Amino acid sequence: MSDPAEVHALDPESFEERVHSFQFWFEAVQGYLVDREYGHRPELPEPELTESERDRLVTVLCNYCVGETAALDGASGLIAVAPNRLTKIFLSTQVVDEGRHLEVFRHRLLALGVEHPEDEIERRASPRLREFRRKLEALVAERDWDAAIFAQNVILEAMEFSTFQMHAGYADPITREVLIGIIKDERRHIGFGENELGRRLKHHPTLRERLQRVRQELDPLVLATLEEALGELQVPRAEREDLGRSYLAAVERLGVRG
Amino acid sequence: MADFLSGYSIQYWLESCPQGYLEETEYGHKAGVSESDLILGDDLLREQAIKVTTQMVVGERCALAASSGLINAAPDEAAKRFLATQTLDEARHVEIFTQRLYDLGVGKNDLESTLREHANPNLVKFAEALLEKVEAKDFIPGVVGQNIILEGMAFSVFEMLYAGNQKLNPKFAQTLAGTIADERRHVGFGENYIGALIKEQPEKRPEIEKLQKEMSYYMLATFADQFRDNDARAELETMKKRAVEAGGEESQGTWQGANLAELDPEEMEALLASTVLGEFKTRLGRIGLEYQTPAQP
Repeated sequence: MSDPAEVHALDPESFEERVHSFQFWFEAVQGYLVDREYGHRPELPEPELTESERDRLVTVLCNYCVGETAALDGASGLIAVAPNRLTKIFLSTQVVDEGRHLEVFRHRLLALGVEHPEDEIERRASPRLREFRRKLEALVAERDWDAAIFAQNVILEAMEFSTFQMHAGYADPITREVLIGIIKDERRHIGFGENELGRRLKHHPTLRERLQRVRQELDPLVLATLEEALGELQVPRAEREDLGRSYLAAVERLGVRG
Repeated sequence: MADFLSGYSIQYWLESCPQGYLEETEYGHKAGVSESDLILGDDLLREQAIKVTTQMVVGERCALAASSGLINAAPDEAAKRFLATQTLDEARHVEIFTQRLYDLGVGKNDLESTLREHANPNLVKFAEALLEKVEAKDFIPGVVGQNIILEGMAFSVFEMLYAGNQKLNPKFAQTLAGTIADERRHVGFGENYIGALIKEQPEKRPEIEKLQKEMSYYMLATFADQFRDNDARAELETMKKRAVEAGGEESQGTWQGANLAELDPEEMEALLASTVLGEFKTRLGRIGLEYQTPAQP
């Protein structure tokens, strides 16, 4: 098992080799996925939800599935564009993480009594989130590495990270445990995006301007999606603003202004 | 389809692979095990090991590109999730075989030039034929090319290498054992999932059969280069002699009922080719395709 202090003592090249490896991923997920079935301890009892609570949770989970499918298609499509072996291997670990997130959310929908999750996802998906997905797919199809990594590993992951963290505070015990495992994965994905783009921004100063344009296009969709999700979760208005700020702070860490 | 695919879930994969046969391994083998002294101490054997491992990295890079590229083209979400596990399996194979090159003394800065120098041109053409379908998002031929042809070839080659290395080089044999377990799952998915899709789209058959014939030819040409080329043949004979001197007549194990130490290179090539082609025929038959005999290189 890697000691984090030991990893950070490595020279930059060995650090990249280590943290982008299957081996690193393998050791990381062993810590929090062992003894979990579909993201939670199997002995946790199903909570008693009112019909309205259940219905709102189903809508939120359906939209999480849309986001995770976008991330799965995005990360897998980017493997072909990735500039080197290490980024390809890291993205492969992200692909299986995103596939797992999709699977555990879908499984949660089944446990909540949704018989045909695909139909329900289709019915309840937010048009803004669908639009975000289309824009991300277009960046991947254009093989635009910088913009696609920014849209996927910074914007989409920061949106998911902030939403899941907020939701975990209000969720039933099973959903909370599922979300906590996913948040740990998202942290790794955001770290990769920031690291990769941070290095490229140092060497290509004009890149910042281009990423700003991507951000200007995607921010309204993200903020509207967040608002919809928080409305469904009935989060108090003051806390909703905190979430918006948390998302914006995560995106601005790279110095890409909106 | 959905029920069958639940057997290929990520939960199942997590329990059987990272939390199953890969537990307590590092780069696919037990911690602390190293390459055999026989190989590290003999320039010819080490060079040959680098050449063989290069082909494995080339094949696995192709498999990684194919499985990840097919996710976007998959017709349903369950197939996407299976291909996600396959993507990470293939990335792991790229990583462990690359690590083997480092263990054999290839410098990190020399990796790409080593791969370029030793990659078999026919294996590269084999990969290009498959990746053309993947690029075009042509899902059914892509999955047949990847999960039946490429994986079927890898499965048999790795099994033969495993038999040959079990006694002489346990570290490499352990690395291969985990890879073989992965390949078995991938081939199983190809067989089980694709049959139903081909029934729905029978017009795809000629295109897929043409791809199988083309990829099979490049595979046979790769084998011919490895076993029949005069230099390669002489090297193989010398290697076998040294392995027998080091480990005895039984040192190279048996595969498909044959003692590998007793086979000459032509016999080894014929055994490998007939085994792989036989498997193709059986598996293609199971999914409703007619095996096409490839031209002989």
